[in-house]
Amino acid sequence: MADDVTAVVVDDHPVVRAGVAHWLSTADIELVASGEDPGVAWTGPGASAAVVVLDLHLGGVAPATSELRKLVEDGRRVVVYSMRADDEIVLQCLEIGALSYLTKAEGAEHLVQAVKAAAEGQSYTPPALAGALAGDRSDTRPALSPRETEVLVEWFQSESKEFVAQRLNITLSTVNSHLERIRVKYAAIGRQAPTKAALVARAIQDGLIGLDDL
Amino acid sequence: MTDHTVATTTRQVLLVVVFAIQLVLMLPLVVAHPHGPAAWVAYGLLTAVMAVVAGCVAAAVPTPAYLAVAPLVSSVLATTALPAGASFTPADWGFGLVGWYLLLVLVERPVALVAALSAHICFSIAWFAREGSGDVGTAGVVILSGTSFQLGVLVVTRVLHRDAGLAAEAAAEHDAARTREELARQREQDLRAGFEGQLGALLPLLADLADERVSVADQTTRLRCSVAAVQLRRLFAENDDVPDPLLHELTACVDVAERRGVVVSLAVSGTATAVPTEVRRELVAPMAQALAVAHGRAKVSLLRTATEVRVAVVADAPETLPASGRTGAVTVETSVHSGLVRSEARWRTT
Repeated sequence: MADDVTAVVVDDHPVVRAGVAHWLSTADIELVASGEDPGVAWTGPGASAAVVVLDLHLGGVAPATSELRKLVEDGRRVVVYSMRADDEIVLQCLEIGALSYLTKAEGAEHLVQAVKAAAEGQSYTPPALAGALAGDRSDTRPALSPRETEVLVEWFQSESKEFVAQRLNITLSTVNSHLERIRVKYAAIGRQAPTKAALVARAIQDGLIGLDDL
Repeated sequence: MTDHTVATTTRQVLLVVVFAIQLVLMLPLVVAHPHGPAAWVAYGLLTAVMAVVAGCVAAAVPTPAYLAVAPLVSSVLATTALPAGASFTPADWGFGLVGWYLLLVLVERPVALVAALSAHICFSIAWFAREGSGDVGTAGVVILSGTSFQLGVLVVTRVLHRDAGLAAEAAAEHDAARTREELARQREQDLRAGFEGQLGALLPLLADLADERVSVADQTTRLRCSVAAVQLRRLFAENDDVPDPLLHELTACVDVAERRGVVVSLAVSGTATAVPTEVRRELVAPMAQALAVAHGRAKVSLLRTATEVRVAVVADAPETLPASGRTGAVTVETSVHSGLVRSEARWRTT
């Protein structure tokens, strides 16, 4: 399965593109195209890539949220990869429909997992994103259960799911399903997007979450 | 002596003086000379004024200015009731006494007093001139001697008032200076006490090193140095004027650990919240302690939700554990899982 994962990287720094290419190749993810312009994700081999790894700051000062929106509305699975870690922009990207948001301080492991999850249409919540969700004070934020909040906070604090599982005396898969449920709850709010709808639909089919929970 | 005391004392003294003049000096004159009946009305009116002023002094309320009308009326009554050609002679009991009454009533209002006195003197002179038979020299002496004495008293009270005002100002300034001095001393003392309290592990360590009771060759001593360094660095950061003091203190501690070669990642979430200095100290302390003894890697996180501020550290430092428990408003929880210490300090903002 892993051989089938294809990705395109949009980033204005050649060194980042090279680094991401190397990380993905070690995880058997095929990088079909890369470039500094979002056009590489729309034309040529990049147009058919399963996952788009998008840098939010392409030269300009303003974040490339409109590029993200266009991709998401076209049904593309996007992992945002950004220098910026401020919560507002993180939450905005989730609201638009990005499947994951990674800061460049987060390493290869998280990027690979995020890309693999996105290829399946799944969300991935790295620690920084968990922190942003835990600190979310917006009025529209979904109601999380105390356990879900605790998993979110512990994951943000320790960066180790094994550690979280030990701490809370739960299994690793329970940790993951809590994080997934949280992301489904977030996907159910705000603007509609194909990727978000798919997340919710699949979670309900799998019995991960009930309609009442949303 | 305050302004108020000067005013009260002046009125009391004047009251005694006026009482003595009216009873001892003037009553025999009224009786001895053939005055018209209006003289007794004037005498009675003046006595009534004295009673009112005495009442005001007893009740410690200011004498009403309109009361000055009564002495002026008495002036007219007493002067017109004089026997023919008696103006400014010993029989003219009213001239001096009315002046004293005006002084008694209007001593706090110099302008009104001078005006009333002038009116009184002018009327007396006019009456004297109408008679036209008196000795101008004697009249002049009587007017000058009586009036200058009364004006002298007025000037003395004004001077007393001014001096009292100056003294009060000087006293207030002196008090303010003393208060400022006291505050500065207190502040310095607080700062010193605060630093001594905060220095915690540092002073005993320095003493031990100076006395050569411990050696830096020992691992334990190096750990103590490391703890002291983090404490000191945090203390320096505490009073810096920065937008996010809590994060600033965390960064300071992380900085010291990184200099020791520990790889620290610092993650921050949520927006800056105002945290009191005391609470900040308690929030940072467990994490600072864990970082000071950490080796290898450590992860520090600051999370600020709508209701809580949470500072956590996950570090490879199982030798010395930050104490769990509740100190003041902050709850600290420490646990060890597979060789990693996790210590978290939480503070509820609401």
